[in-house]
Amino acid sequence: MDSEEETLYDDIDSGNESSGDDVDFAMDVESSNPIERTADTDEYPFEVLSTEEIVQHMVDCIKDVNTVVEIPATTTRILLNHFKWDKEKLMERFYDGDQEKLFTEAHVINPFTKTSALIKNRPQIKTNATEECGVCFMALPASMMTGLECGHRFCTSCWGEYLTTKIMEEGVGQTIACAAHACDILVDDANVMRLIKDSKVKLKYQHLITNSFVECNRLLRWCPSPDCNNAIKVQYVESKPVTCKCNHTFCFNCGENWHDPVKCRLLRKWIKKCDDDSETSNWIAANTKECPKCNVTIEKDGGCNHMICKNSCKTEFCWVCLGPWQPHGSSWYNCNRYDEEDAKVARDAQEKSRAALQRYLFYCNRYMNHMQSLKFENKLYSSVKEKMEEMQQHNMSWIEVQFLKKAVDILCLCRQTLMYTYVFAYYLQKNNQSVLFEDNQRDLESATECLSEYLERDITSENLADIKQKVQDKYRYCDSRRKVLLEHVHEGYEKDWWDYLD
Amino acid sequence: MATNIAAQRIKREFKEVIKSEEVAQCSIKVELVNDSCVELKGEIAGPPDTPYEGGNFVLEIKIPETYPFNPPKVRFTTKIWHPNISSVTGAICLDILKDQWAAAMTLRTVLLSLQALLSAAEPDDPQDAVVAKQYKEHPEMFRQTAKHWTSAYAGGPCKMPELDEKIRRLTDMGVDEHNARVALSSYDWDLERATEQIFS
Repeated sequence: MDSEEETLYDDIDSGNESSGDDVDFAMDVESSNPIERTADTDEYPFEVLSTEEIVQHMVDCIKDVNTVVEIPATTTRILLNHFKWDKEKLMERFYDGDQEKLFTEAHVINPFTKTSALIKNRPQIKTNATEECGVCFMALPASMMTGLECGHRFCTSCWGEYLTTKIMEEGVGQTIACAAHACDILVDDANVMRLIKDSKVKLKYQHLITNSFVECNRLLRWCPSPDCNNAIKVQYVESKPVTCKCNHTFCFNCGENWHDPVKCRLLRKWIKKCDDDSETSNWIAANTKECPKCNVTIEKDGGCNHMICKNSCKTEFCWVCLGPWQPHGSSWYNCNRYDEEDAKVARDAQEKSRAALQRYLFYCNRYMNHMQSLKFENKLYSSVKEKMEEMQQHNMSWIEVQFLKKAVDILCLCRQTLMYTYVFAYYLQKNNQSVLFEDNQRDLESATECLSEYLERDITSENLADIKQKVQDKYRYCDSRRKVLLEHVHEGYEKDWWDYLD
Repeated sequence: MATNIAAQRIKREFKEVIKSEEVAQCSIKVELVNDSCVELKGEIAGPPDTPYEGGNFVLEIKIPETYPFNPPKVRFTTKIWHPNISSVTGAICLDILKDQWAAAMTLRTVLLSLQALLSAAEPDDPQDAVVAKQYKEHPEMFRQTAKHWTSAYAGGPCKMPELDEKIRRLTDMGVDEHNARVALSSYDWDLERATEQIFS
């Protein structure tokens, strides 16, 4: 983000907080993204790079190296990619090691010995003679034939077809080798761009070669939203929200949606857990018991309570009390062995595992619920837009109705924060501060639900004047509660209040 | 456009194979299955000094639309006992038919490569794990088995009465001959274990 944009961004921020004046909202709409205005982001400078700008950045890196090593830029790119864009490593090998070996490893012809290789490999042809292309087997004038430094020559249309197949079907960019059999010399970017005519293929190629550049570079990260080809460039890596030009806001450190207050590590753990368990565990909890000896999960599919574990442990036990079957004898139907020591141990163990599951489901349900609601709020935007248009017909000005959009923005922010507070809370150990956190969470949750209700149901064109005040008060309250909650968690991070259960 | 190149290439390659020395020596052969150039039938002779010597192996060759930028799809239709070729489907594990394919390669080079594969197996990169295990652990047993398969399916000259006898013991029990051969081959010609496997 350049300095100009940044000041604009700061202005809007402070404007909202201090005055809440309607006029400010007009400016908000221009910035258009709800997340961009989050006040809790300290300054975290970043730049959004388009595909072309990434290429430019890459070219600059290549130039840096080239001023020192003085070999063709295309060769430098292949070498840099070979070293995962680690300039220092390249320089070290270039000056300390065996250069010939270095070029062979990177699959390029040594530019210092190039001329001799050319003379050796290339057949001597007179300018007006024809050559046979090794791919399509057509005899063509030499002017239509081309090749790399390795000396293998094919006609330009076969080259184009070959490169297109590699790029579009196999998704290879950096490592396309010469089309000749057993030749591993890589095709450089200048030749690819020259030989490919289709702009779609060119774009894909650019994306492929920039991809490895971005992926190797710690200070760059692709925008994770689908079909977005931008990358974010930062000056230092931190877990902070960044917003792409496509309006997607995500955490630079982990690439997930911006997830304050929970930290990247716990969120990743949580997502993995959700992927592993979720609904299946729900069903298992409701419908099965575990064998008291080998703990295999058992579904009861008949009436008899005399269970024989089929999981090769063959334990015989009572489904009702989970104790061993033997003492039940023939009076199983009124299972009167409840206090039996073995049965008690087995039940305790199961209760413990069930309690853990219940606890997970509690947090998971709330997390999922806010996620679901957040998806629905996106629908709310369109219904609110209709309402805003309708109100403007009822002699309200454009500026006067902007509060509705602002309210939905805040609602979405609150939902997103709430969603991640449940991940945070799941891993949190109970202490005085965690109680305080849960109070904050409850407060924000009830205010958010209230705001949601206003927006979804209560607005009609008749009660507009009253409801406007109510909505504005409510969203300001929500916004401030959200900030209080986040600040409290952040303070806790600084002062080491939080103990985790993992 | 790509399809044009494919058809043109196949016609040219076809001529190349027919004119080649290898055809004169009867070691490789290519035929069109129909007029379309999409499906071909190849044949290679088992190389000398290998268990495949004297056998003729038929290949199914399918030419993709994007040929020669993608490799032809080749598999053995003649059953063969080889670490890099599936004894069940005839699928082949060979780098040049996968990621090492180069547009400048031809049917002739593919067939010659396959012939080379028959003389030099790569047991560390197997297609058929059972065969590869035998190849590494009991090389002599592998040679016998491969020879036997060559004679049974590819018209090889070597008759092996001892192995035939074991197969007969199983076919007498009503087992299909091919199934009997597979089971015995997989268990190093241990009649007892093969029987157990078939009837379990």
